[in-house]
Amino acid sequence: MLVMDIDRREEKGGAARRETAESKSRVMGSWTPLAGDALLDRLRVTGRPRPLADPDRAARLRETIERGLAQGTVANQGGPRDQSPSPTPLVITKDRLTRALSPGVHHDAIGFGVQPPTTPMACGALIDVLFRQLVTIGSIGDPMSDGLAALALDDRQAHLIAWIDSLSGTERGTLAAEVDRQSIALVNRWPTLDPAWLPRTQLPIRVDVAAGAVELSGRVDLAIGRPGLNVASVAIVEVKSGTRRPEHRKDLHFYALIETLRSPAPPFVVATYYTRTGELDIDPVSDELLAAAVRRTVAGARALGQVAEGAAPSRLPDQQCGKSAVLPGCRPGRQRVTADIGGYRR
Amino acid sequence: MRAHELTAAILAPPLAPIGHGDRQLVRHNLTNAIPAMVENLPLGDQVVVTLAMLRQVARDPAALSRPEEPFAWKPAFVRRSLGLSAMDACINHRFSSPTEAVGPIADQAVSEWSRTGWRTFHWEPWIAALHPAARSAVMAEAATWATTLWSSIDWHRFDSPLGLGGPDDQWACTAARTVRLKGRSELQVPLEATHGGGAESTALVSVAAGIPRTGWETELGFLALVASLRSPSRPVPSRVVGLWPDAGQYRSVDITSGVLTAAGDRVIACIGAVVDARMSMVV
Repeated sequence: MLVMDIDRREEKGGAARRETAESKSRVMGSWTPLAGDALLDRLRVTGRPRPLADPDRAARLRETIERGLAQGTVANQGGPRDQSPSPTPLVITKDRLTRALSPGVHHDAIGFGVQPPTTPMACGALIDVLFRQLVTIGSIGDPMSDGLAALALDDRQAHLIAWIDSLSGTERGTLAAEVDRQSIALVNRWPTLDPAWLPRTQLPIRVDVAAGAVELSGRVDLAIGRPGLNVASVAIVEVKSGTRRPEHRKDLHFYALIETLRSPAPPFVVATYYTRTGELDIDPVSDELLAAAVRRTVAGARALGQVAEGAAPSRLPDQQCGKSAVLPGCRPGRQRVTADIGGYRR
Repeated sequence: MRAHELTAAILAPPLAPIGHGDRQLVRHNLTNAIPAMVENLPLGDQVVVTLAMLRQVARDPAALSRPEEPFAWKPAFVRRSLGLSAMDACINHRFSSPTEAVGPIADQAVSEWSRTGWRTFHWEPWIAALHPAARSAVMAEAATWATTLWSSIDWHRFDSPLGLGGPDDQWACTAARTVRLKGRSELQVPLEATHGGGAESTALVSVAAGIPRTGWETELGFLALVASLRSPSRPVPSRVVGLWPDAGQYRSVDITSGVLTAAGDRVIACIGAVVDARMSMVV
């Protein structure tokens, strides 16, 4: 892959440029978000050697997952691989994993129910489609108009669009102002990606484990680089319109795990880009990161498996309450959300 | 999945072609079984069997009894057609990557439709009327689909011109109610003949979302079956390769008489399930 070859040749120079860019961005003690080439360099040059393709790595990870699941109940749902996999696998997404591992397991942790819309959720959905548009055609017109037009193509967003339509003028104005602000920053900072780097947006990735009893599934906001080479060449980027949260990194580690299981090599880096602030969190992918992702995935799968088997979830409120489909009927959850207002959160 | 491995699997030397007698037997089984199965369907009703329907019957048979949603265009319905056109342009060196190609190809198709009123692919009027941002979402969907396929195959290894997309293979069974089989492959790859007589040989490549599930052999065999039924004078495809890019997996099945027979049996079972579901709705 072009980007890989160039990257490796430029590793040293890139590191130097990154240092310069970061120094510049701290001029006068104030932090300035990275933009353009500096942002791209930060993404491409991790300072760590890139993992090599290793068929044994994926086999080992898969075996560890399956061994972990075998100690729970979920692995018994399927038959031998390619013979009689479970017709309804336990599907694990990053959101379900996070919810399942939250201190209070929500009643809807197992489901995919429609979440009650919120302004941050609407902002996040709009920024997601605007980011995709920027990567694909290199520009954004009127952010609200563009965002709503793109969202309207997705049936799953009909509920959210109806909710946006129902907002008062003031509420809609607040949403539009935030979407405008983030979009302008995005256009100013996000680098142009060479088509030769094979950018893929909203890329579905999924693998089955435990003979089809469990499916790990994700949709990556942006993947760059050619897969299937001898050296890791793919970078995965998630875009967030809200504030930083620890679980965002874990989300990306989960994606790194899926990509490793479905490709000859892991991604060399996973990153979260915060459009609200321009922060870029980078995690070079290592065997340690993948091992931790396996442990978390197994723990989450077991928790979800228990909920699926009818174990009563607790009603301890936590930071996931705002996303819960049963929030309207959950008093502790509502109290938590009311007490938890503060900035935009996804 | 490495591109060179998948490409080698597509181009592997073909098995001996299926004999005329075996082909005829599969056709005979279908033409014998189908008419009786559909004769009680309401007048004017028809059954169209596709690969998607075979999969649906196996995995979500209850969906057959749910009312069909009215058709509405979505980006996912355009990505294959637009994506294959973009890949064709890349293969012919007009563009270096699908991402570069999708925009100009879509614009060209829309302007061609505007100029002539002729619907090449049929999505042109839809995207012509879209808001520019919505159009970019369609292009993004096609670009991602095509880029994934583009990077999955080692295109330089193909010596002969490929078929990309093209019209579906179709076969209609003579019965009181119309029964049509429709097979759709993304690539048709000529293979080097290694058998006596140098018979023409082809591998079909089918791209699907998700993960390969139980029954993938007969599902891929279905595409060879429809091609075989459509034109008895044309050789049966030697191989069908299924590609599941979401999962990074591929499967390959060499077409033997056993595979064709199993695919025919699956079609008959599928029609049975469809007829049962429709009759239960009528009652």
